[in-house]
Amino acid sequence: MKAPTTPLRTLLRKPIPHPYQFLPAVTIATSISHSHNATFSVLNRPPPNYPGHVPLTRLERAALALGSGILSLRDPHRGDLIAALGEATATPYFIHRLHRAMLSSLTGRRILRDRPRITSQSLNLPYLRSLPTNTVGGTYVAWLDREGVSPDTRADVRYIDDEECAYVMQRYRESHDFYHALTGLPIVREGEVALKAFEFANTLLPMTGLSLLAVGTMKPVERARFWYVYGPWAVKNGLKSQEVINIYWEEEMETDVQELRDRLGIEQPPDLRDIRKREREEKRRAKERANGNPAAPAVA
Amino acid sequence: MELLLLPGRQVRRPALKLCRTGSLRVSARIRRAYSSKPQPDIYDVVCVGGGPAGLSLLTALRANSATAGLRVALVEAQDLNKTRSWTLPPDRFSNRCSSLTPSSARFLDKIGAWSHVKQERVQPYQEMQVWDGVTDARIEFDWAQGATGSTIAYMTENLNLTSGLLSRLDELGGTTIFNAAKVENITLGEDTEDLDLSQWPIVHLSGGKQLAARLLVGADGANSPVRTFAEIKSRGWDYNRHGVVATLQLEDHGWGGDAMKIAYQRFLPTGPIAMLPMPGKFSTLVWSTTPSNAVLLKSLPAKDFIALVNAAFRLRTVDLDFMHTMTSGQDDELAWRLQHTSFVAEAIPQTVVGVQEGTIASFPLKMRHADTYIGERVALIGDAAHTTHPLAGQGLNLGQADVESLAKTIEYSVLHGQDLGTRMSLEGYNSERYTKNHVFLGVVDKLHKLYSFENGPLVPLRSLGLNAVNAMRPLKNFLMDQAAGKGVKLF
Repeated sequence: MKAPTTPLRTLLRKPIPHPYQFLPAVTIATSISHSHNATFSVLNRPPPNYPGHVPLTRLERAALALGSGILSLRDPHRGDLIAALGEATATPYFIHRLHRAMLSSLTGRRILRDRPRITSQSLNLPYLRSLPTNTVGGTYVAWLDREGVSPDTRADVRYIDDEECAYVMQRYRESHDFYHALTGLPIVREGEVALKAFEFANTLLPMTGLSLLAVGTMKPVERARFWYVYGPWAVKNGLKSQEVINIYWEEEMETDVQELRDRLGIEQPPDLRDIRKREREEKRRAKERANGNPAAPAVA
Repeated sequence: MELLLLPGRQVRRPALKLCRTGSLRVSARIRRAYSSKPQPDIYDVVCVGGGPAGLSLLTALRANSATAGLRVALVEAQDLNKTRSWTLPPDRFSNRCSSLTPSSARFLDKIGAWSHVKQERVQPYQEMQVWDGVTDARIEFDWAQGATGSTIAYMTENLNLTSGLLSRLDELGGTTIFNAAKVENITLGEDTEDLDLSQWPIVHLSGGKQLAARLLVGADGANSPVRTFAEIKSRGWDYNRHGVVATLQLEDHGWGGDAMKIAYQRFLPTGPIAMLPMPGKFSTLVWSTTPSNAVLLKSLPAKDFIALVNAAFRLRTVDLDFMHTMTSGQDDELAWRLQHTSFVAEAIPQTVVGVQEGTIASFPLKMRHADTYIGERVALIGDAAHTTHPLAGQGLNLGQADVESLAKTIEYSVLHGQDLGTRMSLEGYNSERYTKNHVFLGVVDKLHKLYSFENGPLVPLRSLGLNAVNAMRPLKNFLMDQAAGKGVKLF
């Protein structure tokens, strides 16, 4: 620890030197967290606040946000870039707002206290498969199977300075698949964008809002569907439902999924995968009719 | 005794003038019909209320050679013998304490009462830390480097002050004290053959005793019967907040030790919480909060109450709000939240480790200001004239300033041969105190409102303002001089 550089006369005047004069150097009773953007030189990077933490200067944070933003827009499959974008833009304010939302709720506080992690190990998938299909757990595994994905271990948060806010970001990231299951939205670009819009209205995290720029990269028919169906649904439901970050998923596995939706105030949007399937079939039939060859095999 | 003869003569004069109109005989006959009624005792000053304001006024009058000849009486509803015999072991402190500014202390010293206050139970403090619970913007009041450790104020138990004042008043003697006496009624007197008391207030005590007052002083608190009698309206509003008080024990003697005591106040959206130093490891708590929170605080077991007080100086408002919804377990919740909350330990009071049994109490907070402090033969002082939010800790000091001013006004009347009870004679007191108190009450009221916002545009603005004042040493010194009653006198 660095010696406090307080003026000597202050030390002489009072038995205890003025606390704020050596704020950066003093070790306080509890953990110091650089909740405000720390100012330091890249040559003198402070020690991490939690394992895996990378303290960034403001400039580095801005560069990270810009770089990851542009690259992830070009390649939406780069989950690592989207994660970095989420962390780089979460401060100031936004992650603290979500943190406060959790601290105001009894369940949110229990989550913060227990700090459960959702990984492929922590979830007992065989047990979830044994649950009825109308339960949250049953719906979740059905969604996993339908989408052909697994609850992969999500990347650890690294760029958020406050260790508790870092967990909030981690929890949001790991709950993302449950939001998919709850709304039934698929992982195709159109479904992701609709869910991000819902998340933006609900969590206000800037990354979810920035993801909406991907609307510009969608096909015209998808874009129209976003503006007329899924966008309005997302805004309405995201705003009127309770904070979805405060759901203790691990404890809700046996809950009836419709009961949970009703409790939160979420209505299920139209099944996007069905719509897309019908659309593809109509297109195919139209094509066949145009070709005058009804016996041709399915295109896709 | 000369003065005692005066009232009859003086009052008689206008009555005689009236009689010249020819109504003399008629009214004389009517008067005779009542002559069997008990005659009131006549006093120059009758003070209703034996709190700090009333006792200070009588002591000031008795201690001044110019006014020592006045015939004065004190009417107090409570038993003053309890105050006289008030004593507590050195490690116990009463929960009702006040911060006396150096100017109040100087006044008490001038009237000889300060030495009667148990000095070992008085705690001067030299530094004040005030911060915003939402943004952590902070202002530190400490004397500039080089200045000899000056006292900002003296923390005194109200009972220590009143018992000291009473002891000084007993030493001076000459005050007729109606102890444990209930005021049944206050009326105007009658115009009898000997005396015309029709413009004089008569205080009727339970038991039939009547006191006629050349000047009736209302030092009888916020619901002043004297004020009601004088038909002076008192205006203002309730804050819908309660002040929770308690005597706390800290882990140690404070960050500055016994030589450098610090007062702390944190502005929470529900109201400010203040911890003020008492001798040794003790501190007194004044926590302005919502009535429902006050009910909860009073119902909690000691360990959870202590946890909530420690939390209120350390945790975020969101944690505090949540902990106020819990009916128990605040202790455990605080231990968890402290691991995730950053603060500078030396910038906040030391950890509370105990609360003295039976000291947790609460009272409603109000802002009231009487339309005027004076009427014909009536003057109001202290809480009878004004009540304020305790966030500035100035309620008692405003009362002391009233007393000093009224005593000076009475002295002037006596020295100049005026009737000390007339509105004309009292005008000086009203004009000296009313505006100052009004401005003060208004500023405190606005501060309360300013800090009740949890978010919105005023939150960064108030923090900017606080930080700016904190950075401006000359302005800060000026404010501290004002608080200490030094320099140019504004308040």
